[in-house]
Parts: sequence; structure tokens; C-alpha cells
Amino acid sequence: MTALLALLRKELSILLRSPVTYLTLTFVGTVTALLFFDYLRHYNQLLFLYTSNSMGSFELGTIPEYINLSDQVFVPLLEQLALTFIAVIPLVTMRSFAEERARGTDELLLTTELTPEKIVIAKFLTAYVFVSLVLFTSILYPAASMLRTGIGLQHLLSVYLGLWVLGIGLASIGLACSAFANNQLIAAISAYAIALIIFDLSWVQTFASESVGYALIAMSLHPHFVDFAEGLIIAQHLAYFVGLAAVCAALSRLSLDLIRVK
Amino acid sequence: MSSSSASDTSSSETVGAGLRGARVTSTQLTRRFGKYLAVDHIDLDIQPGETLGLLGANGAGKTTFIRLVTGYLLPTSGELSIDGFSPVSQPQEVHRRLGYAAETSRVYPELPVESFLRFIGGSRGMRGHELKDAVLRVMARFELEEVFRRPMGHLSKGYQQRVSLAQAFLTDPPLLIVDEPTSGLDPYQQAEVRDVLEQAKGERTILLCTHDLSEARALATRVAILRRGKLVALGPTDEVLGDGDSLRLFHEEDIEDDIEEPSAEGSA
Repeated sequence: MTALLALLRKELSILLRSPVTYLTLTFVGTVTALLFFDYLRHYNQLLFLYTSNSMGSFELGTIPEYINLSDQVFVPLLEQLALTFIAVIPLVTMRSFAEERARGTDELLLTTELTPEKIVIAKFLTAYVFVSLVLFTSILYPAASMLRTGIGLQHLLSVYLGLWVLGIGLASIGLACSAFANNQLIAAISAYAIALIIFDLSWVQTFASESVGYALIAMSLHPHFVDFAEGLIIAQHLAYFVGLAAVCAALSRLSLDLIRVK
Repeated sequence: MSSSSASDTSSSETVGAGLRGARVTSTQLTRRFGKYLAVDHIDLDIQPGETLGLLGANGAGKTTFIRLVTGYLLPTSGELSIDGFSPVSQPQEVHRRLGYAAETSRVYPELPVESFLRFIGGSRGMRGHELKDAVLRVMARFELEEVFRRPMGHLSKGYQQRVSLAQAFLTDPPLLIVDEPTSGLDPYQQAEVRDVLEQAKGERTILLCTHDLSEARALATRVAILRRGKLVALGPTDEVLGDGDSLRLFHEEDIEDDIEEPSAEGSA
């Protein structure tokens, strides 16, 4: 446990000393604010149009069901943030294993009392801390808005739980790519490629058989986080992201064994 | 040249005439990288407290042999034990006995020296006062007090090498492995590093990997010479390197006459 805590402390220390971390947090905070206010402005415009009956086909004061804060602001915001996460998370996770290998410090780690399992756990936990920091920078405006508009804490938690598990999934993919890559660029590019490919595989359904199509959708990221934006916390979706993280951790662990037999 | 000795002692923190250290034994140790034979059936027995110089030209297999001892690489065939523990099946037991300073300084440029040493100590299971005292001890021994708050990326190569050696000494390990410790250092820094290793002689087993003959003469009690992965000479330093023609062992094509097979007889 002492060794694991020492490694975790070292990983967090390096994370918090890296300019990339702060650039990423600033970028995500800014993008979230811009997107959020843009969707909110659009939602307010729609509300104004409908409540002033300028749309003509509705009775005064009647607002269609789909004009609500969740569908007009939080669902699209979540989807845009998901794409933002795909863009930024590999920038940080690419360093994790690949940089150790490039510097030769992996040899240092693997000749201490740290087991490969502890190394993987520390790397993954550090990446998850980073994901949490990213979420924290993006939560301010949506949280204030949700709580003031009465959508409620439960809905807010659901939205951010969705973003968090998505971030966890993307970070796990990034770490697994970093574990198998010899340099950071390859780690980042492969993480982008995998994340974009599995983001939404529903289009393959057109060409594939029903069972294959169903399996591909089940593997996609998108169907598993979109319900969170609606305020729905579904165990099956949580299990998907936990499973994704577990598979990536197992692959990363395997990569450390492959170093010894390469 | 005499061959290495073997005894029945397999675990030996304290052995013989006050010598402290680990025993390293390899039997027919072999490592391939694809078709390339990097380490070729090496038999070697390093006694507790001994300083063995592992010599050879670039690409001779020295670093691969060291990586097999540390457990970083797995052997293709053969046996290896450190105090009776196998780096293959019991790496944690081996790592507990091991201090390792790699060929080029393996450091984290962002971390200050003290944080790095605390991390290495922690990753070797040290904590609290034990860790604090160990860090202070090695910082004093390697004269790192002046730079202990500086990020390692801002240090000169000489200081980085000192930090690398300092981390290897943190736990006062019975087996110290140093790979090219003076490579890239200026003459003054080389002398400093040699002084440190000279002081450490006899306190523990040292496996010194180098291609610097003067370094091996100054520090090693025995030397083993590798060529193309084969052990081509093994014996007391004066005997192996004393005839002034030792360079031929590094490069001569016909080596058969020079091979000194390690046996179970003789002394270190």
C-alpha cells in the first residue's frame, strides 16, 4: 500500500506540474461556458417565440413538450462535451505509459517493489482524477442554471455522472493505447481513432445483420451516456463503462508483461 | 584467471568475514531477441560482498544480462537466482534486495530531487521517519543538499547521475547494480562517482557494468568479459586485465582458447 500511495503521489505531482493539464482545463472550461450559454440563448429564444405566440400555430402560452431545458440545453451540451472530451483526454493520457517508456523510467518502476498491478492502478486513478478536474471546471454554469431553474440536484448528478463515466471510458482507452505505444503521438492518435470509431457504431447496422448490429450498438459509447442527460441513471450503462475501464486496465497490465518477453 | 566459486549458501545478507550482500547465480542463462542471441548460456556466480565488473564492448550483452538480473526482462532459458529468489517467479523478493542505477539517468524532469527520492523510497516500502532519514542520508552522501528542491530536468548530467546513484542506495540494498555509472561525466565527476562506489565496496554485492577498463581495475574484485552474449573471461581483475592485452578479449574473433569456464571450484 505504501508503494502504491507513493506512486499515486508521484503521478498526481507530475500531472499537476504539467502545463498541458492547465491548458486542457482552461480549454474545457471555456468551451463548456461558450456552448452552455449558446444553447441557453437558443432555448430562451424558443421560449420567447412560443410564449409570445409568434409561431402562430400554438395557443398563447403553450410550449411544445420538446422545448425543455433538458432537451434543448443539457442533451446537446452533453453530446458536445463528449466530443470535447474525445479531443482533450488523450492529450493527457498519452503521456502516462508511453512517456515512462521513452524516458526509460518504466525500468525504474519495474525494479522497485511496485507490482505491475499497482502501476496500472496508480496510472488509471490519476487519469480519473484528471477527468474529475475537467468535470469540475465545466460544472459551474450548468450547475447554477439547473439548480435555479428547478430541474434539480438529481438531474444534475445524472448529467455529470454521465459525463464522468464517459470521461473514465475515454481515459481508459487513452491509457491502454499509451501502454502499447512507444511514443506519445502514436498513443494519442490511436486513442482518437478508437474513441471516434466506437463513439457511435449504429450506422453499421445498415450493412450488418441484426445480431451484429445489436452487438455493435451495445459496444458504442453514445447510446450508453445519452440517457444520463435525460436524468436517467441506468445500471446497464454504468456496467458498460466499468467493463470498458476493466478491459483497458487488463490490456495495460498485459503490456507491462509484454515488455519482459519482447 | 580463476573461476567463480560456488557455495551452498543461498541466502546471505551477512556472510563469511563480515561481508554483507546478496548472492547472484546464473546457470546457462540465455536471452534471445528474435534471432539475435543477446545473452548466450552464461554461468556466473557472484559471491556476497563481491564487486564484479561486467565488461564488454557495446552490444556485448551487458545491459541485457543486468536486465535479466533485475527481472525487467525474462530469460529465454536458463536459471537465475538472487539470494535463492528467482527474478522470474519472485520479482518482489528480488526487488527488495536490489538497488539499480541504470545506464542513463532515469529521472522525472518535472520532479524536484527530494520528491523523486521520496517517491523511490516510498515505492520500496519506506515511510515516515525511516523514509525521511534515508533521503537525508543519501542526499548528504551524494552532496545533493544544494539542489534538493530543484527539478531534475534543470540539473547537470553529473548531478542527475548522482541522483540516480542516490536512489539506488536509498534502501541500503544488499545487491547494487550500476550500469555505466560514469558514462558521459567529466573527469571530476567520474572521480566522485568512483569514490562513492569505492566506499560501497565490501558493504554489499556490486555488479558494475562498464566498458571502461580503468574503472573496472579500480573498483572490481573480479571481472567477467562478455562478447556477443558469451562469457569469454572470468576471474580476478588483476589476472584478467593485468597483461596489458586485455582489449583483445573484447574483439578477437577466435575466442575459444580464452574462454574460462566458471566452475564450482576456486575462490572469488
